[in-house]
Amino acid sequence: MKPMTAAEWLEHSNQNRGAVAWLLAAALTGFYLVLYFTEWLNPAAKALGLDGKWTLYGLLYTIAIIAGGIHVMRKYRRNRYQLVRTAVVIFVQLTFAFSIPQLLKFLGKPELYFSYLWPLKIDYLDPRNFHHYPLPFVIYSIVGSFIAVPVLTLLYGKRWYCSWVCGCGGLANTFGEPWRHLSAKSGLAWRIEKITIHAVLVIAVAITSLWFASAVLPEHQPLARAGDLTRQWYGLLVVSMLSGVAGVGLYPIGGTRVWCRFFCPMAALLGLIQKLGRFRIRVKRDMCISCGLCTKYCEMGIDVRAYAQSNRGFTRASCVGCGLCAEVCPRGVLRLENVSRRDPQELTLQSFLDESWKGGYSSPAWRE
Amino acid sequence: MKVLIIGNGVAGVTCALHLRQLDAKADIAIVSGETPHFFSRTALMYAYMNHMNRRDLEPYERGVWKQQRIELIQAWVKELKPGAAIRDDGREIPWDRLVIASGSTPNRFAWKGIDKVQDGLVNFVSMQDLDACERLTPSTRRAAVVGGGLIGVELVECLRHFGREVVFLVREPWYWPAALGAEEAAFVTEHLRAHGVDVHLGEELDEILTDSAGRVRGLRVKSGGEISCEMLGVCAGVRPAADWLKQTTLGVACGRGVIVNDRFETNIPQVWACGDVAEIHRPGQPPLIEQIWYSAKRQGAAAARNVAGIPANYEPPLFFNSSKFFDIEYTTVGDVMRLPAGTPTIYRRLPDRPVSQRIAHDGGRVLGFNMLGSRWNHEILERWILERRSPEFVLEHLEAAQFDVEFGRAPLRRMTGESLPLKKAGAP
Repeated sequence: MKPMTAAEWLEHSNQNRGAVAWLLAAALTGFYLVLYFTEWLNPAAKALGLDGKWTLYGLLYTIAIIAGGIHVMRKYRRNRYQLVRTAVVIFVQLTFAFSIPQLLKFLGKPELYFSYLWPLKIDYLDPRNFHHYPLPFVIYSIVGSFIAVPVLTLLYGKRWYCSWVCGCGGLANTFGEPWRHLSAKSGLAWRIEKITIHAVLVIAVAITSLWFASAVLPEHQPLARAGDLTRQWYGLLVVSMLSGVAGVGLYPIGGTRVWCRFFCPMAALLGLIQKLGRFRIRVKRDMCISCGLCTKYCEMGIDVRAYAQSNRGFTRASCVGCGLCAEVCPRGVLRLENVSRRDPQELTLQSFLDESWKGGYSSPAWRE
Repeated sequence: MKVLIIGNGVAGVTCALHLRQLDAKADIAIVSGETPHFFSRTALMYAYMNHMNRRDLEPYERGVWKQQRIELIQAWVKELKPGAAIRDDGREIPWDRLVIASGSTPNRFAWKGIDKVQDGLVNFVSMQDLDACERLTPSTRRAAVVGGGLIGVELVECLRHFGREVVFLVREPWYWPAALGAEEAAFVTEHLRAHGVDVHLGEELDEILTDSAGRVRGLRVKSGGEISCEMLGVCAGVRPAADWLKQTTLGVACGRGVIVNDRFETNIPQVWACGDVAEIHRPGQPPLIEQIWYSAKRQGAAAARNVAGIPANYEPPLFFNSSKFFDIEYTTVGDVMRLPAGTPTIYRRLPDRPVSQRIAHDGGRVLGFNMLGSRWNHEILERWILERRSPEFVLEHLEAAQFDVEFGRAPLRRMTGESLPLKKAGAP
């Protein structure tokens, strides 16, 4: 039996799908069901002086990211990448995902979230919304989705969005930290993920296309109706059930990136672009000891060890570049990189002549 | 063709997987008494500390063995005859070709009182050791760990993780003189002490004290003092696990390990040995016993070629290794502490953080690196040695070999350094 105090048991149960984890999952799922499908939270919001349940939710979400973020920054205080990244996550949540939309609403303007873009927020590219939104925001959405997102992703990988800007990723990497290792690591999970995530992307693209088609062909009512109907189902199934209820509710059971990994259309699109870009995880030759910490703590369920122990650098579409694999590696085998760098200098003529670069080297110690 | 591999450690398993790539038809079986599945021995400490579950230690999904048609047998082999291995339950496993990859076993010494020990003494290299550690921890208030190497410090870290008092006995005048210079060892020791470890340098175990039931209750050290402890970790190195072979009738020649040539052939035809257990004899070179994870992988892969009938001569790479002492990461390449005392080195460190670099050279070219507290790309350091780069060149280009996380590069410009002739433990 392992030594366990009561506090250790609570922690263990929470982090290993024990009773505590199931209770928490039930509570979180219940919260999301109440939030999405009832108005019960409105009185609580009013009591706090907020205008409704969604503002209350935004406030709770922001508090969760700040509290979790502080915990994460303390835990990984020796890792500057984690410090910078987490600070940015907190900043983006506090400003673009909370204060600015609230301020806009207070000023009587539409409540706009600059940190969300199509296809995560498909409504931002619904042509019928274009005349409700300020023109600069429409331009921002279009330029953001079709120019900034691909260019940034080619340069830095999808991480610039998924683990620096996005609120879903932000919550996962802060509040969700205790459960990040619970993601499914099997080959089967990978096969399922490839089907589901791309299916959602296809649906998101299809809905948007229907909207544009109906805007271009206004006399074609069935198109618009089909678009709206799909949008309703998409809103219920994908946005409410998958990103909220399942995505966050199941943190203590399925890990923190269930939504990001299996369903998010934005992650699907960014992943495809990432495969073409500069981002990769570099693996040092023969230094991996197959301990498996990288795989265990990969929130996207990537079997990082499989690459590390076979000395293969890699770029996986699902990798959000959180950098935890490199952090937990006890041998410093992994590094996140943006470039396929050339070797730092050319070989010397001498080393070509005596072929010492091939390993024909003997140390004075061996000659003793 | 029936190939039997004894040992499911990294050498045996790598050999089996490579053999399958080379020979689609062979019957391949791996026999091990320790565990049914290959696991990463190097990660025992993370299972102990609950950072991982035991299943997480397995580097391959279990489906791999069926898919690769590699039979896994859990049993201890007690006897080897030509063409058959006898299990501890008496059953026979037939073989046409045999690979011995039984790994290492912990060193033990004839300390006074060790014969009375029934419980409380642990090593930290096998799954059974992990069982013992986990069983003993709750009834342990203070533990002593003997042996100033890497495994010792890993066990120490685990015990501290559970808040146990830990006395760490290091026989040498500083921690791990086989790998670390006196200056590095000093701040690593400081770091251990900051983590609450009671480090005793230059102190040797003399006698193990036990209670009436045979449980360790303390120990006496050579300087005369007594230390009470309920658990004693012995981490004083490992040696090839070859003793059991001497009891078998097959007649495999052994020295410290199983004697093989650089094609891993033993004295018996159709029998090979690789990994930690192999003692490799090459013409004009001292016998080679490698006990590192990567060397076991490389040996297993090279042995597989020879077993498959494709001659492959093994050549060890330029030495490199890495480890971690609590939070301080360590990378070494080439030769540092194996060089003679007085070898010139450049030693630099950050004034305010446990970050240091030691570059050993012979005046003209660099010979080795000992890097602590930050991450390094050993491939580049290795190439600089092979290219016979000068210390000046290396210092100028050192940044190119840094491997720290983004935004987190150790600030080389702030390093303060000096030339230091190498000090060796026991040398004047």
